[in-house]
Amino acid sequence: MTKYFQIWLASARYSITRTLMFRFDFFLWALVELFWMGVNLLLISVIYEHTDSIAGWSKYEMLLLVGTSLLVQRFLMGFFWSSLFEMGRNIKSGAFDFFLAQPGNILFMASTRKLDLDGLCNSLVAMGVVAYAAHRLNLHPSALDLLLYAVMILCGLIIHYSMLVMTISLAFWITSAQGIEGSYFTLAEFSRLPREAFKGIASVLFVWLLPVVVVSNAPAQILLHGFQPVWVLALVAATFAWFGTAVFVFHRGLRRYASASS
Amino acid sequence: MLHAFAKYRQSFLIGLQSNLVYRMNFAVRGFFSLFHLAVVFILWGAAYSHNESIGGFSFGQTLTYFLVMLVMQFFVGAFNEDYQISEEIRSGLINQFILKPINYFSYRFSIFLAARLVTGALILIPLLVAVPLLKDYLTLPSEAWRYLLLTPAMMLSALIQFSIAYCFGMLTFWFLEIQGFVILSMAIESLLGGQMFPLDLLPAWIFHAAKFLPFYYQTYFPTAILTGRIEFAATIQGFGIQLLWVLVLLAVNQLLWTRGLRRHTAVGG
Repeated sequence: MTKYFQIWLASARYSITRTLMFRFDFFLWALVELFWMGVNLLLISVIYEHTDSIAGWSKYEMLLLVGTSLLVQRFLMGFFWSSLFEMGRNIKSGAFDFFLAQPGNILFMASTRKLDLDGLCNSLVAMGVVAYAAHRLNLHPSALDLLLYAVMILCGLIIHYSMLVMTISLAFWITSAQGIEGSYFTLAEFSRLPREAFKGIASVLFVWLLPVVVVSNAPAQILLHGFQPVWVLALVAATFAWFGTAVFVFHRGLRRYASASS
Repeated sequence: MLHAFAKYRQSFLIGLQSNLVYRMNFAVRGFFSLFHLAVVFILWGAAYSHNESIGGFSFGQTLTYFLVMLVMQFFVGAFNEDYQISEEIRSGLINQFILKPINYFSYRFSIFLAARLVTGALILIPLLVAVPLLKDYLTLPSEAWRYLLLTPAMMLSALIQFSIAYCFGMLTFWFLEIQGFVILSMAIESLLGGQMFPLDLLPAWIFHAAKFLPFYYQTYFPTAILTGRIEFAATIQGFGIQLLWVLVLLAVNQLLWTRGLRRHTAVGG
């Protein structure tokens, strides 16, 4: 465990040094992520210009939900995105051999090679959005609520990571994963919607089968309405289930890896 | 003229073959676009539950707008042309085009057309699933002029889409990595191109200003023509601005190409 933490620290040091070398890239990517967050917030703002409620959620409740969803996504971008994005390309080019040759857990080595500081900086902006919405709603969460919120965000991060690993693992089966990672963003869109908006089959599929709705709704519910055991249990169960499935899919894919292909 | 046509016909056919290799990727992307439609359906369905109309349009009209927008993206949108061009410059593959009697823009454009033919055909598969499910909601206006003007609007949109991607590809002559610029522009395009929400829901002054930007003509313009969100007079005026943007972007492309080649060191290839 300590060994892996030291490896992660070494990767983090390397990423920070690299960011300091390519400062323009850092500012550009920070701006890119900021813009995308702005686009999502603007969507909410535009819809609420024409209506007062979406599935019973007011504008600032919705802002809190979207801010929470963006926070999980920023952490994913900051900690794992670059490494996993490259993983898809490495599987295609055969450069993935490099990770197979390392004396450590392959998925860990391939997922933690790079940190993106721009994503991590923007997580502060997402936190700002959540704090602003909570302020406008006049919420005063207790320390325990905040701690639970943080745990729920961590669970959300693990679920998003698992979804991305499964998406990228498709590269083991198809010629190239180029463009496939975009599919993850499509699924992540659901996490910006309130649970109450899902009805019938959509509720079964996106709330119970895919965890995308629970990921953001569970932490948001804690801030809005305090500790709710059902939400917390659902999210923890989903975290274990999805992480386990992602590890399984990745290793099944790994069996098909044939080094340099096209 | 015929000789030139034969030349680019060949690159079109090669483009068709190379894009068919990645048919699974496009098909998966098309399949995931159904999820995007589901998000639209759920979000806007919830917003419409207390309102008969939003911005003067019914739920059915808004849903039709997003479906047409999706199809439009697969038929005229640039996917990864900017990266392909960037890669050819960076790796030196572009050197062969400098030495041969071939126009690089026309060559890439013919491949772009082939790619859109493949992606356009592939989006029809998820549509076969989506349309029967949504048929009670979908509604299109009946005016004939909309259907007549749709094709030229789509052709000009494709030219704008490709030209913008080409411009970003050309940036590789100056910058090693263009991905940041591309994704930044994607955010702007998704907003001002009407992919996030119908542009007419924006405050009037922003909507008016957006009409003078090229992003409006990337996907929103043809979508608005087909879904009845724009009237005849405004469509004709739109064609004028769209044509102007095509000319401006073609000129910028040419400028970037000639200026870029001066910096090009022809390494590799």
